[in-house]
Amino acid sequence: MFDRFLIRENSLENTKEDGQCTGFKFSVRIADYRGCFLSLHNGYYVKCDDVEYPVSIQRFEINGKEPRNFEEIKKAVWEHWDYDDEGVLWIEKDGGLEPGMHKIELQQSILAQYGYMPWDQEWLENPPVPGKGLGAGKNTTVSQFNLELK
Amino acid sequence: MGIKRGVSFYSYQQTQFFKQMNWKDMIREVHDNLKTDGVEIVDEAIIKKYPFATDEFVFDWNNEIARFNMNPVTMDVYLDVHQFRDHIMNHREAAERLKNDIKLASKLGFKNVRCLCLVPTEVIEMALSTAEKYDIKIGKEIHAPLPIKPGLSHEKIDPVLDPRMVDQMIELIERTGTKHAGLVPDFGIFQHSPTKLAIDYYKRQYSSEMIEFILDKGKENTVEEVLKMMDKKYPNHGMNFMTLGAIIMKESSARPEDIKDIIPYIVSIHGKFYHMTEVAGQLGQYEDQAIEYEKPIQYLVENGFDGYINSEFEGQRYCQDLDKVQMIDEVEQVRRHHEMLTRLIRKYEK
Repeated sequence: MFDRFLIRENSLENTKEDGQCTGFKFSVRIADYRGCFLSLHNGYYVKCDDVEYPVSIQRFEINGKEPRNFEEIKKAVWEHWDYDDEGVLWIEKDGGLEPGMHKIELQQSILAQYGYMPWDQEWLENPPVPGKGLGAGKNTTVSQFNLELK
Repeated sequence: MGIKRGVSFYSYQQTQFFKQMNWKDMIREVHDNLKTDGVEIVDEAIIKKYPFATDEFVFDWNNEIARFNMNPVTMDVYLDVHQFRDHIMNHREAAERLKNDIKLASKLGFKNVRCLCLVPTEVIEMALSTAEKYDIKIGKEIHAPLPIKPGLSHEKIDPVLDPRMVDQMIELIERTGTKHAGLVPDFGIFQHSPTKLAIDYYKRQYSSEMIEFILDKGKENTVEEVLKMMDKKYPNHGMNFMTLGAIIMKESSARPEDIKDIIPYIVSIHGKFYHMTEVAGQLGQYEDQAIEYEKPIQYLVENGFDGYINSEFEGQRYCQDLDKVQMIDEVEQVRRHHEMLTRLIRKYEK
């Protein structure tokens, strides 16, 4: 769902922390028709210009709080990502990206379900690694975006 | 008395996503253009900061409902068993979520909550006393590929759904004597053939050749058999059971006449549809070519069903890989659906 609209156009920027360029970020929406408990959000498969950036170097900014890594997001069991709200995905990359066009491939992972499933124990012990369609909710393919960094 | 029309705001999910309409605009659309009062929501799409609706939201919602004299019919509620991430939610915890949803529904003036077909009956039973206290009915959804009555040849279409779900709910209702549990049939159970929008979408997502192969093999084979052929011919196909089942659909998961026997248990109905197109030769009249509406409506009217059919449009997701201009107009689709509902209800209500 919303395959081509998960990343907002014109949202790609480099991130600056303590005067240093620490990576890049862009704004994302939820690939579903409902919001979710934030703890269910399990990170992204992200490739930028054919380089993959694993969940361990991703942070997620939502609900007016500082960006949190996905170990912290996992603990946000009483916080909600509302359907209407945009989140910002922060990716660590020393020096950030060069200005110009960048190809970004993305798959979101949210462990939303409609009840008990046969793989529940497996997902508890080994949450799916984003990118293969497992835990990808309503959009199991990888979406491609060409975004400009100004 | 009789069949009343309403809309699940699920139908406007794409319009909401692009911020072209908010829930107040949706209420206005139902009131001003569809000329009816039935409202259904997905809790996690509409309620800000779910599950802790603010007093301001509750008042704002109730005020808007009062302003236009609307009727909040059913609130759709969910069950995400991985919420806590350090353990799988047990049945008592699942019941706590349902109880909280019931209280929320009550605050917003709803009469019913729709819970999903995979929610264990035991969880519903644990929440019954709360449902009674707040005078909210818990309606379990009969969603495709479930039948109403078991015994159809293709009932093992899904590995997790129990085809006896309807009987299990009726057993619970009879055993406890509760007036606060029932069923929410979804018109998707009367879908008898694949919707063209979905076939075209899957051709773009996978490959035309693979989808043609599925359609061809699906004529003579079951879903399991086709899946085996796919595993052999396309080892990395990545298609799941449900999607495959929807593509090779040959008959509906429930028989229209079976609805007659569950009418006393129906809480409200999901008017699921995918694509309303003009009826050949009938200007301004619309139909969904993949879903049987006329017979179930006839049976509902003839057997005295008194309640709401709430439109639930779901075709938008098959166009969201396209440019914005090629995406489907949800508002227009729902208007067409209400043309059909109005026409069919009138035809049988004498």
